[in-house]
Amino acid sequence: MLEISDLHVDVDGKEILSGINLTVKPGETHAIMGPNGSGKSTLSHVIAGREGYTVSQGKIVFNGKSLVDLEPEERAGEGVFLAFQYPIEIAGVNNVYMLKAALNGIRNYRGEKELTSVEFLKLVKSKVKAVGLDESLLNRQVNSGFSGGEKKRNEIFQLSVLEPMLAVLDETDSGLDIDALKAVSDGVNKLRDASRSFVVITHYQRLLDYIVPDYVHVLAKGKIVKTGDKELAHALESKGYDWLTDGEESAA
Amino acid sequence: MSNSLQAILQKLPGPKADTDDWLERLRADALKTISSRDYPSTKEESWKYTSLHALKKSDYLIADEHNSGGLLKKIYSRNDFLEADKLHLVFINGFFQPDLSSDELLQNGINIRPTTTKKADEKYNLETILKTDLTETFSALNILTLCDSLLIEVEKNRIIDKVIKLIFIGESPEPLLKSLRIIVKMNENSEARIVEEYRSHDKDMGFTNVVTNLRLGQNSTLYHHRLQIESMNTTHIGKIDAQVDTGASLYSDSIAMGGKLSRVDIDVSLSGRSAYCRLNGLFTGINDQHIDHHTTIRHLVGDTHSDELYRGILDDNSRGVFNGKVVVSADAQKISARQASNNLLLSKLAEIDTKPELEIYADDVTCAHGATVGQLDETALFYLRSRGISYKDARALLIYAFAEKVIEPIPLPALRQSLENKFLGHNQMSEFIQQG
Repeated sequence: MLEISDLHVDVDGKEILSGINLTVKPGETHAIMGPNGSGKSTLSHVIAGREGYTVSQGKIVFNGKSLVDLEPEERAGEGVFLAFQYPIEIAGVNNVYMLKAALNGIRNYRGEKELTSVEFLKLVKSKVKAVGLDESLLNRQVNSGFSGGEKKRNEIFQLSVLEPMLAVLDETDSGLDIDALKAVSDGVNKLRDASRSFVVITHYQRLLDYIVPDYVHVLAKGKIVKTGDKELAHALESKGYDWLTDGEESAA
Repeated sequence: MSNSLQAILQKLPGPKADTDDWLERLRADALKTISSRDYPSTKEESWKYTSLHALKKSDYLIADEHNSGGLLKKIYSRNDFLEADKLHLVFINGFFQPDLSSDELLQNGINIRPTTTKKADEKYNLETILKTDLTETFSALNILTLCDSLLIEVEKNRIIDKVIKLIFIGESPEPLLKSLRIIVKMNENSEARIVEEYRSHDKDMGFTNVVTNLRLGQNSTLYHHRLQIESMNTTHIGKIDAQVDTGASLYSDSIAMGGKLSRVDIDVSLSGRSAYCRLNGLFTGINDQHIDHHTTIRHLVGDTHSDELYRGILDDNSRGVFNGKVVVSADAQKISARQASNNLLLSKLAEIDTKPELEIYADDVTCAHGATVGQLDETALFYLRSRGISYKDARALLIYAFAEKVIEPIPLPALRQSLENKFLGHNQMSEFIQQG
């Protein structure tokens, strides 16, 4: 589904990613872990197509199609979703309106008929319970005045409505207490199936107790320095990152 | 002396100096005042950022009943303007069109009087009202070249449920000067909602010069919404002069989106205790539009309060001007005045000149003001696009979000809706927003 090969990415003229290789097959969940500044968020943004992230070398191929030249909204249309580490507050825009515009944008891209407001509201009502989002948040302004946990739940709620094939979760656990973490993880786990893939970016192993990954990759200084299964995450929790990044340095 | 202002004055019939008619006397005074003037120049402080070059090089005809609509008048019918729960009055090229207006203007408690000032009624003390600011060039020109004028009086203790909508249409391909006068008199404890809408046909080259006088009696409430959506070749000069008496509240919205050159001056005097005004404004500019608002709020006595919020959205080469003056008289203690001017620049060539001006002669007051100039938030744009919303729609949504702060408090759903449509097309957000 997703094939990243030899990916080099510059931000403001500085190389942040230096040759990433990552293959994600349908239904798989991959965790990307790594210390601060290792390039985790850059990877998530470059997959979603944020401006200012220049691919200087390498490829990102999604279902056989190169993503690099596509606009962010076209990538969404292809089935890519990024849950933001810091979801944006947009005062003045109704949460449900935004989501309807998003779903219909995607449906347009795919040549599907737009949903009417009635159809859309029905869909939304069925999804809102699944992620444990308070229904009153639907009619509020986008993320405006939401608590940290509500914002993250709203991201997962958007994910559940837009039904992407690949969801990249960028530090979705940051700033969550244990109850919110469980609720968000439950929401994600309900959306896992044989065809949908997840890339879960996190600094801490804690999230991976709830969203159990098939693979764990360690990113350091712009490269994947180790790949393993969920046990690798436990090792990182007890030993930290130093043993991996030091090794990478001495090998270089 | 010959300039384009004088060229207009030369087209006027000669003054009848020795008449008893008070209006003719006012006109003679006005003529004397401006007979040696030109339009204001950018050397004058209040016109520093707004050049009247376009007016100076045009030769305007004065609108009269012969050119009030011509053929196009016939393509409209009353039904085109009908809206539920509204009384509407239609003016074309400065003249009232009874055939196109609501047929029941005489409602309980309200007196709407489309009238030329020739028939003006001294009962309403029009002379005093019309005298206001006669030394000012555009007010003097207004009274000298007046087309129709309109008086709205709301009786004591009446709340008018129907929205009174005034629609001024310009449709002249030749430069036509239309001077209009609207006088609103709110008697004690009355309440009304009035919309002034200025629109025009694409080819209209008109020059609208309108003065609105609002007189709010004790404990009255007036919602006054001014919507200027004329075509891109027009010049629009507007003035609102308001007096707000004890316990009365004025809610004013000035929305300016049209015209090549648009200037609105709003001058509010809070003259009795507990008088309040809320002045909100929203202006948008594209191409080389120039939109100027000058507001003055005068706290003449203590315990008067004002809130002001103006938001500008400027694209392409357009230019916006906001000058917000607050004057607090000596002894006007315990007043509060809050002002905010927020501006969004969508292009590197767009420009805003925003300036608060405070003149405070009392010492126990609460005054706050703030001005911001910003651009679209790139992160928010990316957020929306990453959800599948096109660049164009995401941009429109963020621009609407900025304007919403002014649109949301407008108590007329139909007006809010039409503004929302202007920003978002026909995808309606309001159907998701719970009322109440």
